[in-house]
Amino acid sequence: MTAAALPPSIHPAFDGPDAGRRTPHDAGAQAAATLDALDDPLEQGRFTRWIQGAHGERLAESSLQLAGMHCAACAGIIEQALAAVPGVCSARVSAAAQRASVCWDPARTRASALVAAVRALGYAAVPDAAAPARAMRRAEARQALWRLFVAAFCGMQVMMLATPGYVAAADELAPDLRQLLNASSWLLTLPVLVFAAGPFFSGAWRSLKARRIGMDVPVALGIAITFVAGSGATFAPGGLFGREVYFDSLTMFVAFLLAARFVEMRSRHRSAEALEASLARMPQTAWRIEPDDSTVALPVHRLVPGDRALVPVGEAFPADGTLAQGATQADESLLSGESAPVAKAPGAEVVAGSVNLGAPVRMHVQRVGADTRFEAIVSMMRSAATQRPAAARVADRWAGPFLAIVLVLAAAAALAWSQIDAQRAVWVAVSVLIVTCPCALSLAAPATIVAAARAWARRGVVVQRLDAIETLARVDQVFFDKTGTLTTEGLRVAAVQAAAGAAPPLAPDEALACAAALAAWSTHPVARALVAAAAASQARSDALAPSRAQREIGPIDTAAVQELPGRGLVYRDARGRQWRLGAPGWAGEGAAPAARVVLGVDGCTLAGFALEEALREGAAEAVRALRSAGVRVSLLSGDTDARARALAARLGIDDVLAGATPAAKLEALAAAQRAGRCVAMVGDGVNDAPVLARADVSFAMGQGALVARAQADAVIVSGRLGDLACARASALRAMRIVRQNLGWAAIYNALGIPLAFAGWLPPWLAGLGMAASSLFVVLNAMRAAALPAAGTAPSAPAAPVVAPVAAPGAA
Amino acid sequence: MEILYLLIPLSAVLVLLIVAVFAWAVHGGQFEDLEHEAERILTDEPSGA
Repeated sequence: MTAAALPPSIHPAFDGPDAGRRTPHDAGAQAAATLDALDDPLEQGRFTRWIQGAHGERLAESSLQLAGMHCAACAGIIEQALAAVPGVCSARVSAAAQRASVCWDPARTRASALVAAVRALGYAAVPDAAAPARAMRRAEARQALWRLFVAAFCGMQVMMLATPGYVAAADELAPDLRQLLNASSWLLTLPVLVFAAGPFFSGAWRSLKARRIGMDVPVALGIAITFVAGSGATFAPGGLFGREVYFDSLTMFVAFLLAARFVEMRSRHRSAEALEASLARMPQTAWRIEPDDSTVALPVHRLVPGDRALVPVGEAFPADGTLAQGATQADESLLSGESAPVAKAPGAEVVAGSVNLGAPVRMHVQRVGADTRFEAIVSMMRSAATQRPAAARVADRWAGPFLAIVLVLAAAAALAWSQIDAQRAVWVAVSVLIVTCPCALSLAAPATIVAAARAWARRGVVVQRLDAIETLARVDQVFFDKTGTLTTEGLRVAAVQAAAGAAPPLAPDEALACAAALAAWSTHPVARALVAAAAASQARSDALAPSRAQREIGPIDTAAVQELPGRGLVYRDARGRQWRLGAPGWAGEGAAPAARVVLGVDGCTLAGFALEEALREGAAEAVRALRSAGVRVSLLSGDTDARARALAARLGIDDVLAGATPAAKLEALAAAQRAGRCVAMVGDGVNDAPVLARADVSFAMGQGALVARAQADAVIVSGRLGDLACARASALRAMRIVRQNLGWAAIYNALGIPLAFAGWLPPWLAGLGMAASSLFVVLNAMRAAALPAAGTAPSAPAAPVVAPVAAPGAA
Repeated sequence: MEILYLLIPLSAVLVLLIVAVFAWAVHGGQFEDLEHEAERILTDEPSGA
């Protein structure tokens, strides 16, 4: 937000230490200039949140964006270094997201010490606030593109220079010409080795320094040996290293490996950008309305609950609250994935981060900062991004020993072949080294699962624990809570029964319109259901019913309507008749037994209305989709047996546990688990937290303010149950891709190692195979980011209709 | 065939030259926003972004 964009009547009132600080340009410059700025409480607020420690002490949790990481081993190195800083309670580093989440004690250390610790290792770290991180990503992308180009372009030329050596007959190529070709190849390989392959050498060096064996060690070793041997063969032909050169294999190997990393980096950047795009929805500035009705601009974190705020068109709502004045439309795609604007009338609830599209409005601020739904969702996405899924943890554990075996195997091959044919010993060792490098194996699971999480987020399902994706794919029984999950809070009119022989006689539509005319004056849930039903029936069939009802009941005189608590509404019309809408028996005698509300005139029943709980949108479809996928669906409810069974019958669920206490619900879940089933639980996330915790994987409906407190593995932020079936399809697909990738890597290694050991695999083929399999795995994993075809057409990841904050023009 | 002794080193030098030109292009940010450049003709500002 710049001063030029402010409405003329509004004066920026940035004051004190805030002055000029919160502009995007300054944020980047400051982070680069000095580490001390990180200890400024206001700066810290941008990447740190405060949490309660185990003993009640105040702890800070900061997220850092890292750069320079290439494999899982780097994550471990940084984690250890961060944990070694005095005052750090815990540190989590995700290699896939390149993020660190550090929990530290502000009494014993400072944020700048954390960043300094990471930088001392040779990695880059900046606070995870959008601007500097974006600049870092851009630099990384440029560097990666350049390295890839150098390797690929030089590789092509080297291959051209190598071709004569392959195609010429034994004595066709003059020795000095061969020498010249080799020397030119050597010259063109030099930039590939020194510059393009730099990340492999620095990665190998870092992991050796930390006394670990990372993925980069065998790769760097293979490259170095190939180059040294090739140089020997070029400049001292017939010496120790023979006459064979493999510069073409070396450059191609480096180019393929860099290509795989480039693809992986792009996908990582896209995930980070998606998260930042939603973060950028949050405005930096809010317009507070003062008691004297003037407006001042102030940083959004200065808003407090109870304030009133002005929200101009095209800006995002700065806080959760209700509309005080003005009607508008809001783009709530960050919650639902649905980019169609939602109409908002005065009094409607608005969420922070959704964009005001219609008209300037005023709002009452109810929740700010970390309490908003927006912040809750962002911090969930963040915490998921710093996790390593279980499959990846298994791969990490085995990578170290496996790599040690690789080195031993290569040494053994060199030793064995030096006895058989000393000329080929070096090349066999290089082949073994390269063909067995388990890069593909370590990429297989994390890349896929992170991609699947991105697909879920686009559907409006936010993952809190990445393992949820793996588990959901195995689920064979889903328990639904009833109230707040399968049903919404509201009621619905199920049937209208016009009383026989009533005077005046009314058709059901007319009776409904009459009742709605009265009910409009009440906010009782039953009254709201009647009004909604009348509006729906008018739109559906009979547009004239209201006017006929109008003739009957006449224009409503507000002063004559009375609401009697526990009974209903009373109204005396212009003709002196007393209308009643409310409990059977009180409003009129002799209504049908199913009626819960009755409309009567002067004690005589005109019509009865049967009510039922309103089903959540897509509930029936979700249940049907899950059942047709072979998943058992069960209903858990604390409600009475009759109501629970009626609802289950409507949805086609036959396994019902009604009148259940939380303990009984827990027992039902435990029984299913004892029977060997993998159980998912879907609830509202607050009242049933212990039950959710017991399930193998749990989902919470993300409604209202409750999302911040939801204790579930994933939150269905969109509120559409149909997304659960979509998420399951996506999880199944992701796990299928993981299995494909692991299978591919296993087959490749199983074939490659014996062939290389037997000397049948020249280094160029080993390099091609290993690099191509990494590329294959990464590209295959990208498929998990696609949304499953099942379900309704998903909307594209919403591009903000009107850019709410700092235009990305400078990018 | 003697010309090869000139052409091969020349091609190697040429490759290094092309790499240098590409480095200039990458670090000038020419590959970062391909869509934006195409749309710039539609905007009013004479300078673009």
